[in-house]
Amino acid sequence: MLKSIGILLIAAIILWIEVPSLLEKKYKKELIVFSIFLAIGVGISMTIGFGKFMPNPLDLLTLVFKPLNDVVTLLFK
Amino acid sequence: MMQDVKINSYQFLVLVIFFTVGTTMLTIPSVIAVGAKQDAWVSTIFGTVIGLIVIWLFCTLAEWFPQLTFIQIIDKLCGKWIGKLVSLLFVSMPFLYTSILLNYSGTFLNIHAMPSTPIVALNILMGIVIVMGVRLGLETIARSAEILIVVFFVLFLILVVFISPEIKFENIQPIYEAGTKKIVQSSLNFVVTSTVNAVILLMIFPAFVNKTKQGKKSFLIGNLIGGIIIIIITFLSVAVLGTGNTTRQMYPVYELAKLINVGDFVQRIEALMATLWIIALYFKATLYFYASVLGIAQIFNLKDYRPLTLPLGMIAIALSLVIYPNVIYRQNWDSTTGNSLSILIGLFLPLLLVVVYAIRKKQLKKEA
Repeated sequence: MLKSIGILLIAAIILWIEVPSLLEKKYKKELIVFSIFLAIGVGISMTIGFGKFMPNPLDLLTLVFKPLNDVVTLLFK
Repeated sequence: MMQDVKINSYQFLVLVIFFTVGTTMLTIPSVIAVGAKQDAWVSTIFGTVIGLIVIWLFCTLAEWFPQLTFIQIIDKLCGKWIGKLVSLLFVSMPFLYTSILLNYSGTFLNIHAMPSTPIVALNILMGIVIVMGVRLGLETIARSAEILIVVFFVLFLILVVFISPEIKFENIQPIYEAGTKKIVQSSLNFVVTSTVNAVILLMIFPAFVNKTKQGKKSFLIGNLIGGIIIIIITFLSVAVLGTGNTTRQMYPVYELAKLINVGDFVQRIEALMATLWIIALYFKATLYFYASVLGIAQIFNLKDYRPLTLPLGMIAIALSLVIYPNVIYRQNWDSTTGNSLSILIGLFLPLLLVVVYAIRKKQLKKEA
């Protein structure tokens, strides 16, 4: 509970720091990309904060790189 | 906004030194000593030489496209759609490595400096300083690197001079026992961590350094100096701690610093030596983060990368808490998938670009 309030507070601070200058300069694309990344960031932080299962990107990479790993290990060990 | 940043070649030299020494300084001696045992320092010599060849490859690529960052080079050579795809793949590497370095820093500080502080807090602190650095721009990062390199070398000299009385030459004998094959194989981790990863420096090298020819020299000399620092450190680790201890310790250089005892007066200065590592790690992480933020901004054709720093920083810090569940996973991942990822993006991708350039040379000259 406290963690989610903290994360939303941080997101609000980030919005307060960035959005006024973006709106002033009328950078529409930047605003959209910024919002998407902020949403992803808040989403990931909430998932971690509540201790729910968070897929590990390194596991995904290990899956993708398995054949190359085997070749490299063979060559260099 | 993005293209009017210029650093001179000395600043680039300093950044390359910090990048090469970065994480290598703390963990590599133990990784190399596993394979090459007491010849770990010979392994680092081979690693430095191989590294220089890789850097030469990057410099050649840079010479053909002055004024362009790596992402723009990919865009130009591969066309619009494939270029975007390859760029996205490329950008994932420095972004992932930012999280990895944050994890390293958090773990190290948690174990040796502040055991009761939750790692979240340590990562957030380091993350805030990194985000601050990138927001302030490359020129600020380069100028602070110019100042801090002096601090770095002073502390490094203190470490080397005060630990030298403890060198036991029996620990490095018999020299060259492991044989060339084993020694070169053990240097793989070192070459990947300090040199192949330096491909991200191509994001700043041709575009933001004011004289490309001097910049090329700086790139090579910087890597050489970084390599010499690593050779000295590995030599000291093996000579003072002995092979067994070096392999067993997670952070052999910190153990070295613990052993400094000059006349019972200069003792317990290992926290000062940790500063050495924090500085190098900070600049390496900042360079990774700068490369990834600039890369993402250029993929989406944004006018400025600054608004992206805070959200991406938040994602990087959050990821740094998830990526390594434990140390065994970390050591395993680093020596397998980590090496493969770096080799794919740091070696195969530039080689591929060189080939594409050779094929499309005439076509590009006609367009220009």
